[in-house]
Amino acid sequence: MAASRREFLRHTGLSAAALPFLAGLPGLGFANGTPHRKQRLVIVFSPNGIVPKHFWPDADGELTAFKEICTPLEPFRDQTLMLNNICDKVEGDGDNHMRGIGCLLTGTELFPGNIQGGSHTPAGWAKGNSIDQELKTFLQKSPATRTRFGSLEFGALVPDRADTWTRMVYAGGNQPIAPIDDPYQMFKKLYGGAKDREVIGSVLDDVADDLKTLSGQIAAEDRKLLEQHTTFVREMEQELKEARKADGHVVPKLEDGLREGENDHLPRICKAQLDLMTAAFQADFTRVATFQITTSVGQARMRWLGITDDHHNISHEPDTNKEAVEKLIKINRWYCEQVAYLAKRLSDTPEPGGEGSMLDHTTIVWTNELGQGNSHTLNNIPFVLVGGGLGFRMGRSHKYAKPGVPHHRLLLAMAHAFGHRLPAFGSSNFCGDGPLSLS
Amino acid sequence: MLIAALTLMLAAGDKPDGPALYKQHCARCHGAEGQGAKKYAKPLAGDLAVPQLAEYLDKTMPEDDPDALDADQSRAVAEYIFGTFYGKTARDRRTPVRADLSRLTVRQYDAAVADLVGSFRGEATYDFRPEGARAEPVRYARKDFVGSVFAPATGEYEFAFTLPADVRGRVWLNDFNKPLVDAWVRSGPETEFRARAKLLGGRGYRLKIEAVKIDKAGKNKKDFVGPPAPESPPAAVLRWAVPGGRPLELVPDRFLSEAKVSEVYVSPVSFPPDDRSLGWERGNFVSKAWDQATTDAAVAAADHVTARLDELTGTKPDAKDRGDKLKAFVTTFVGRAFRRPLDDKQKSLYVEGPFKREADPAQAVRRAVLLALKSPRFLYREVGEPTPQHDTAARLAFALWDGLPDKQLREAADKGKLGTPEQIRKQAERMRADPRFALKLEGFLRHWLQVDHVGELAKDPKKFPGFDAATAADLRASLDRTLADAATSGDFRKLVLGDELYLNGRLAKLYGADLPADAAWQRVKLDPGQRVGVLTHPFVLATFAYPGASSPIHRGVFLARGVMGRVLMPPQEAFSPLAEDLHPTLSTRERVTLQTRGANCQGCHTVINPLGFTLEGFDGIGKLRELDRGKPVEITGAYTDRAGAGRTFTGPAELAAFVADSPEVHGAVAEGVFHHFVGQPVRAFGADAADKLRESFAAAKYDLRVLAVEAAVLGAMPPVAVAAR
Repeated sequence: MAASRREFLRHTGLSAAALPFLAGLPGLGFANGTPHRKQRLVIVFSPNGIVPKHFWPDADGELTAFKEICTPLEPFRDQTLMLNNICDKVEGDGDNHMRGIGCLLTGTELFPGNIQGGSHTPAGWAKGNSIDQELKTFLQKSPATRTRFGSLEFGALVPDRADTWTRMVYAGGNQPIAPIDDPYQMFKKLYGGAKDREVIGSVLDDVADDLKTLSGQIAAEDRKLLEQHTTFVREMEQELKEARKADGHVVPKLEDGLREGENDHLPRICKAQLDLMTAAFQADFTRVATFQITTSVGQARMRWLGITDDHHNISHEPDTNKEAVEKLIKINRWYCEQVAYLAKRLSDTPEPGGEGSMLDHTTIVWTNELGQGNSHTLNNIPFVLVGGGLGFRMGRSHKYAKPGVPHHRLLLAMAHAFGHRLPAFGSSNFCGDGPLSLS
Repeated sequence: MLIAALTLMLAAGDKPDGPALYKQHCARCHGAEGQGAKKYAKPLAGDLAVPQLAEYLDKTMPEDDPDALDADQSRAVAEYIFGTFYGKTARDRRTPVRADLSRLTVRQYDAAVADLVGSFRGEATYDFRPEGARAEPVRYARKDFVGSVFAPATGEYEFAFTLPADVRGRVWLNDFNKPLVDAWVRSGPETEFRARAKLLGGRGYRLKIEAVKIDKAGKNKKDFVGPPAPESPPAAVLRWAVPGGRPLELVPDRFLSEAKVSEVYVSPVSFPPDDRSLGWERGNFVSKAWDQATTDAAVAAADHVTARLDELTGTKPDAKDRGDKLKAFVTTFVGRAFRRPLDDKQKSLYVEGPFKREADPAQAVRRAVLLALKSPRFLYREVGEPTPQHDTAARLAFALWDGLPDKQLREAADKGKLGTPEQIRKQAERMRADPRFALKLEGFLRHWLQVDHVGELAKDPKKFPGFDAATAADLRASLDRTLADAATSGDFRKLVLGDELYLNGRLAKLYGADLPADAAWQRVKLDPGQRVGVLTHPFVLATFAYPGASSPIHRGVFLARGVMGRVLMPPQEAFSPLAEDLHPTLSTRERVTLQTRGANCQGCHTVINPLGFTLEGFDGIGKLRELDRGKPVEITGAYTDRAGAGRTFTGPAELAAFVADSPEVHGAVAEGVFHHFVGQPVRAFGADAADKLRESFAAAKYDLRVLAVEAAVLGAMPPVAVAAR
């Protein structure tokens, strides 16, 4: 990657001195997909499978129309890619809901353990890291792609309970990462430092004044210590001023009174989280994010849609239960609206220092722990991709031939799109055919 | 040269003129006032008595011509330099000492923020007494353990929670919002779960342990309550490693209590270490790293207060009087942080200011906490106009606990009841009951024995088979117990003269005591008549020794410097010990004598060697021996004190008896205790302060607790600057 860059510089006759300026000027002739183009990945999770009939397009190839669940994505149809017949083939301990979420991004088995699901053997945590964390590590290695956080783990309505069903992201084997489902906590993580810097700046002003008063009151021999202290305080004030200049990001305004874990606040929590995510991308705090809406076996009661029973219960109803199917369509369409809202926010925001919109540089992957709730199948897991971050060919639907392809190959494709050319990820026996070819 | 000397002698009559001789022969290298010069930069200072000094000078000085001065002339020079700048009294006279402005030491900072936040959670009661120790480890096989654990040292603790595969469990320590160890989900083959936590010593921390057996389906077994049969394996075991190189061990019962205590705020920020160059921790410098640490620590404390605002302030978000309550909280918080009532100007800056700047009162609290903790009035000891009784309260609390005044002390100062030494003493005696006091005293003893920074104690396995890392850890644990006992009882004479040693089965086997191999810790009379007091504790003896042999020099330097409080110059060049194999027929004692026989060495080694030799009856791991390299060990020794009085001893028992009775030792202990507790030079509190403390120590029959209280009382009074000269 360095070579091509040097080569380019040589051709254009620019000296090394111009290098720092160049780095701040993306789009200077670099084609789509070159390493210096800023790329982002967001994985959005919703639970309990979907209703295939009302989700997957009938035809393979160009995406001409969405089925009912996916209609919210209509404005982004030409930036959407639907991958049909991708399967989570990982076996071993744990029921399908557990393996569904635990193996979804890790591609690896669960350890034997003591968490017993409704069927199958008990299990513990996943044995390896998840693809988002793998990419975080990869991106953080290089100064060109390193960001303040590396990755951000958003959540909404994730119960305060650590078990296999509530964790999707892993730093490594037996190291689940809890998503932050409280927007205020996420806000503090993103902007708390800046607020503190601002407060400390003015606190230091007061401190320096008081130091002056005190210096007059103490013995001459002791004054040196306080004078030194004053110097450090002044230096820090100066440094804070510099840091605050760099803080000048757009800080989103959160509405008050949201309570994490409050079922009826879910729509507003999701909006707050997605606004924070957009702002975090805008400030380049991270290039990788996950958003886990509820959990595997999620039990949201979408009263705002007129649905009073919980999602998981409804998802067990047979396809013949028309009323249940109607509800599941509504529920999943609502989840799709969240994806569409993020896509809209990103597409409405110009890429900072770059060309096009932020959506052109971001790929949203919407997925689920199951293919379908009433069968608990891990085959044909929904994977809907929106946006241009990974450089895939969009505006189409692709159905892989039966019996489908392991989802490992999609995880690999995501890594390769970032230039991280992993030979395998997770259980290597599913990676033999390499990354899916999607561009 | 000879003529010049004769002339001088004649001029002064029969008595040689010391000052003139010094000027003529010595000043070139040592400076006109012994301050040092280019050739020999170190100031001439020490505490050889005049006769020893004279003898040394006669034999060795001037370096280029030791015969230039005869015995009488050397004596005259010795008397002159001793009285003018070499001896202790002369040195004290020449260098006036004052109590310097200090910032809080790291230890004090951590304790002060913990006390400050903790003061809004009610005063903690500590219910830990080592006497109540049970020998059996706790088996957490009952449903839960909820109580508290006592931290016997400050620093990072490592915890290891072990559970069989069919048990799930969690441990909460101090912060009950988040488990320290979470093994509720069992995943994979691991049965041990580790975590680390910083704890401040001398305090109790709430502890909750859950351990529940699960059936095959992963469901909790309901019948799993109550203690197990004694022979059944424990369901869950919590072990810890106390900081300071100690191994993982079961959390001893003596540190566990059923008592409920409040959360302690432990600042997560680490500060750059304090200066210890004078032998005690001092807040005598500031640096950028320190300033940054104070900011980070202020932010961390503000986070803690913000997160627990309702608990600490006794209010709720929708309460009508919330604004008033929060302001009242800030007023109290800042006053306690500054250890004094606030005047109007301070109230306006530190209390009203934040509420004016922030519309949200909760945000104002956060700003006020940051401001208070960044203020020099919190970070420094006694800046600003004096507030006599509150200053006294703060000095007393820092001296005895390294922390802030508690409620009773604050009230005494508020009511003007801390004005007289008697009133101060009464408070100090009350405060002595807090375990933080015993821990600080224990810290002094560690420092006195110079074992406070001993790393890994490794010995040559060929020379000392059976001495391994476990032995070293056991020895450390044995000394820990000895020092904890001494700090609790205060009995200095028992510490120095006691005939019992803490041993367990493993140590007993190696050191030749008659105990079963698996014996628990107990007091044992080992080597009666030979092993006397803490100076013969094997950890101390093994510390002052080589990996493969004893070292009379290390032991002698330790005794002379540490115990007798003598000043010794470092050798003028670095020496390696003579190799044993090059002198196969010599005992250690003979080798040391051979190596240090040079006249240049003798100045100090006449003091060092005869002290160290008395402990030659113990080998490099502190085990009693009769032979050294095939020769019977010789344990005779001698000591000449500062006044020139000499005496001889045979063996450790006579040495210990001397140490227990020696006013010189008592004086050194008294000074050491003052410095350790008060953190300022004792002379800044009066020219006779050290003597007075030594007398109090004697009057209290050598009770270290009384001595420490007296030191704290003295240090709590306003320091007097000793006038120069």
